[in-house]
Amino acid sequence: MSKPTLLLVDDEERILRSLRMLFFGGYQVRMATDPHEALRIMRDERVHVIVSDQRMPVMNGSELLRQAREVSPATMRILLTGYSDLEASIASVNEGEVFRYLMKPWNAEEVKKVVAEAAAIAEVSFAVQQNTGAAVDAAGAKPRVLIMDHDEATAKTVHETLSDRCEIIWAADAQHAMEELAKQDVSVVVSDLMLGETNVGYILKTIKQLNPQTQCIVLTSFNDTSRLIELINQAQITRFLPKPVSKGLLARNLESMLERFHAVRNQPALQKRQTVAPISDPQEKIQAGNFLGMLGRLRARIGA
Amino acid sequence: MRQTNHPGKDISSLINSIDGISPDCPLEDVAELFSDQKYSKLLSLPVVEDGRPVGVISRYRFMDIYLKRDARELHGKRPIRAFLNADPLLVELDQPLAVAAQHVAANMKFPLTEDFIITRQGTYLGVGFVMDLLNAMEVQMRANTRELEQANVQLKSSQLALVQSEKMASLGQMVAGIAHEINTPLGYVQNNVAVGQELFQQIQSMIASYEALADALLDEQATEEGIAALMQQIAGFRGDMNAREMLGEMHGLMDDSLYGIAQISELVLNLKNFSRMDAAATEAVSLNNCIESALNIGRNVLKDKVEVIKELGDLPKITCAPSQLNQVFLNLFTNAAQAMEGQGKLYIKTWHVGGAVHISVSDNGKGIPEDVLTRIFDPFFTTKPVGEGTGLGLAITHQIIQQHGGDIRVESRVGEGTSFHIKLPTTPAVAVPQPAVLEAVA
Repeated sequence: MSKPTLLLVDDEERILRSLRMLFFGGYQVRMATDPHEALRIMRDERVHVIVSDQRMPVMNGSELLRQAREVSPATMRILLTGYSDLEASIASVNEGEVFRYLMKPWNAEEVKKVVAEAAAIAEVSFAVQQNTGAAVDAAGAKPRVLIMDHDEATAKTVHETLSDRCEIIWAADAQHAMEELAKQDVSVVVSDLMLGETNVGYILKTIKQLNPQTQCIVLTSFNDTSRLIELINQAQITRFLPKPVSKGLLARNLESMLERFHAVRNQPALQKRQTVAPISDPQEKIQAGNFLGMLGRLRARIGA
Repeated sequence: MRQTNHPGKDISSLINSIDGISPDCPLEDVAELFSDQKYSKLLSLPVVEDGRPVGVISRYRFMDIYLKRDARELHGKRPIRAFLNADPLLVELDQPLAVAAQHVAANMKFPLTEDFIITRQGTYLGVGFVMDLLNAMEVQMRANTRELEQANVQLKSSQLALVQSEKMASLGQMVAGIAHEINTPLGYVQNNVAVGQELFQQIQSMIASYEALADALLDEQATEEGIAALMQQIAGFRGDMNAREMLGEMHGLMDDSLYGIAQISELVLNLKNFSRMDAAATEAVSLNNCIESALNIGRNVLKDKVEVIKELGDLPKITCAPSQLNQVFLNLFTNAAQAMEGQGKLYIKTWHVGGAVHISVSDNGKGIPEDVLTRIFDPFFTTKPVGEGTGLGLAITHQIIQQHGGDIRVESRVGEGTSFHIKLPTTPAVAVPQPAVLEAVA
């Protein structure tokens, strides 16, 4: 089998040279300092993984990755940046739909691991892409939408948009959410980061570990870039919408996430594209462990 | 009779409860009252009918009438009603002291012959002495002055705190920018070292294999099979990696790393030059150096967005507080960058005429509307959203330039751009002052 192709994009050539050496041998490495050149390469050849810088003079990384999605949807997208500004990280989720958001300076071993993982997933994606055509809608159960947000406006919009097609559950607290998750997997989660006093980041991370099909939309006024980056990598949230969110925007995103859920359900191989990184925060690790344990017991009881 | 010798804060403390006399009271009875010891302090007697004051009769006027020849016989039985001043000075109980004092002062007649009357909604309460009112006013004014002084002290300390927070805000922004800028070279230098380490290990085991082969070839005891195995091991290594190419590549990465480290050093040096923590507060420097230093620090904000066009003339060194002027320039440069929608140009020009150094900083940004322009040097004036600007940047800039004996002017045209012009004397009239507030800025 031929080596996977890795495309590196950064306006600093020294970064490119340095990374090329890191991937020497295992990959077909392509490099570009100009995002337009990068897009041209993606049009001309199959690129498994693209690793892009965020801040570049011609076009920023999240915009490049957005265009990369159109040019080559199967390519796995990774952002490698020294800037952790909120705007860039929001764009990387909503527009770039990145697999990982990595920070400079990076850990060589970690980046190698992430790229290898992404390359393997891309390989499968490309294969699936070739076999598509007959997308059979698995006559599955009605999709379930879980709302974890005390905001009534959110619940109202979800109801208005999806109640004709989906079962909608409005969870008031973590316990309630867990009971619902124990009954059956959910298709789309619409969540604030704070549910009352509880930070529900660990729940989102656990859900995604449990069921990679689930698509997560986070609506929040809680703006912390490092937390967001964690949620990208460890919960693979698909949308991050800063509150207040307009009704139209939320409705549009709900539609597209439901569509995404169906696509992933029909092509289980695509699930892997949203594989999450392990939870890094020690406290959240414990919380998630407890959560999974309780969920297991609940499920056993319901099953029995 | 209740007499208040220590006037307090309101009208009620001025009340002397004296029974009003009836307008029907005959003059001879009034004469009795005036000679009574307990009324000795009164300038006038209040005349009250149905609980309401109808006038006053002053001691002065009374004497005027009553001491005339045969007055006692002529007027003794007549009621006071015919003689009183029906338009006395009235003060309402709930009036503020200052308002009452103003009213009394405006309407009293000289020489002072009457007291004023205190009422509550028109009902007679008692008599007030003008002197008491004046004393009360003085006490209140002293209290006011104390309050003002305290407020002034508080204002000064909160101003200091605000200046400090402005400094921290701009410093924080700057440090975040520099930290980000360091991340790029740090990224590849760190990676190059990691890559080099791995390569080093591979080469080490390769050399070990070569040495083993060399030893085996020289060893008479070595078997053909042993040598063949070693040869195969080496061939394996050579198949896995092209050592010569990798080493060549690594050579380039070493050069890159040195370059990256030099860049990091430069950034750190820029920070040091900008803050001038280790230099004297006042020093003779060329302002061109201050401009360069501010440009280096602001590079992060300006890069990608702003084309800087410099025209720096020969400048004499001037004695100033360089860290303050660095801050002034950085503030002007970052403001200019923020005024640009998309790409823009920043012109920086310096020149020297006579006894003054001139600096102009112009941009082709969106410009400042006239109503804003007149206020841009005002403290706390900001057009930025809450939390983004303290509104102190240009106020501090203005203050720093003034402290240096210079002046700063601004011209702007909406849609065309803004231009700041600074003029600083080459020989400051006095040593650059370092008041508390400015030290906080430095």
